[in-house]
Amino acid sequence: MDAVSYTAQWMAAARAQESEREDALFVDPLAQDLAAPRGFELIERYAGGGLLPFISIRTRYLDDAIRDVLATSGIQQVVLIAAGMDTRSFRLDWPEGTEVYEVDHALLIAEKRRRLDALGAEPRTDRREVSADLTGDWMPSLEAAGFDRDRPTLWVAEALTFFLTEEQAAGLLQLLASASAPGSHLAFDILGRALLRSPFSKPFLDTLAADGTPWIFGTDEPEEFLTANGWKTTDLREPGQPGAGEGRWPYQVQPRNRRGANRLWLIRAEIATA
Amino acid sequence: MSSAGIDKVRDWILGRHPERTELAADVDLIESRLVDSLAFVELVYTIEDAAGIEVDFDNIDIEDFQTLATIEKAFFA
Repeated sequence: MDAVSYTAQWMAAARAQESEREDALFVDPLAQDLAAPRGFELIERYAGGGLLPFISIRTRYLDDAIRDVLATSGIQQVVLIAAGMDTRSFRLDWPEGTEVYEVDHALLIAEKRRRLDALGAEPRTDRREVSADLTGDWMPSLEAAGFDRDRPTLWVAEALTFFLTEEQAAGLLQLLASASAPGSHLAFDILGRALLRSPFSKPFLDTLAADGTPWIFGTDEPEEFLTANGWKTTDLREPGQPGAGEGRWPYQVQPRNRRGANRLWLIRAEIATA
Repeated sequence: MSSAGIDKVRDWILGRHPERTELAADVDLIESRLVDSLAFVELVYTIEDAAGIEVDFDNIDIEDFQTLATIEKAFFA
């Protein structure tokens, strides 16, 4: 497993911990077994800085986004990009006929399958694994698994853009837009730039970099970034706001115009119409 | 001798950590995780309010924020 796969275990561990809470934002019964061997150790290593509540809040925000978009749009094609140890195929209620594509690199897909098979986990919808190198041209692999770019799609990219350069993140949004039929949607998250520059973030960011998974990309103007790359923001929240973990976020939500604030953007968007 | 301004900063930190009742001037706020990366901006705003100044986020020197003593020296002296 490569470094990014360990971050997938870290997130699974965070979801397992969330599932144990009385006020859990979601319950992921498979997360515990997907977090091994390093997930819980990484929770300790990356402790502090609001990461654990952020992972939980983001998971729930995207759960809600998926449910709402599918219920109102009639979309039946969902692509989880860099799905990692995500178990949404197994734990969400999916409208009849929904196809869920889980895209990640082959080693992770194989290891995840081995563990889920051992647990006897049964997907609750038409789940399709797509082994692909996300740094290369992965769209053909997705299409080979049955993806149809002429049908509207919901793309979900959870905890992905952090690890890209600005150019790569822009390229990803453009690629998704180019494969999106009218009526397609996107749900994902972006870091704020201030968070990446703050001297108080440096010890944590240095640890991530030393582990081979540096956080690189962030922006304090997410709407502009989306618009420039083919998408129109339909919902933008920060943790702690209503619908984004209100009551579970241990920090103040800063007004949008406040200078220097550390932002974590939770975003829903739809494909821009020409 | 501490100013009223630095007391406001101390109270804000202690307010975030109900398990603590006191905070010495030389405790490293970052290493001890009393102020983490996301709480940092709130610390800066607290200092701005207490000192009546505006901090330049583009030129922050982390040494100024290391302890209550360095904060006092940098912003309340």
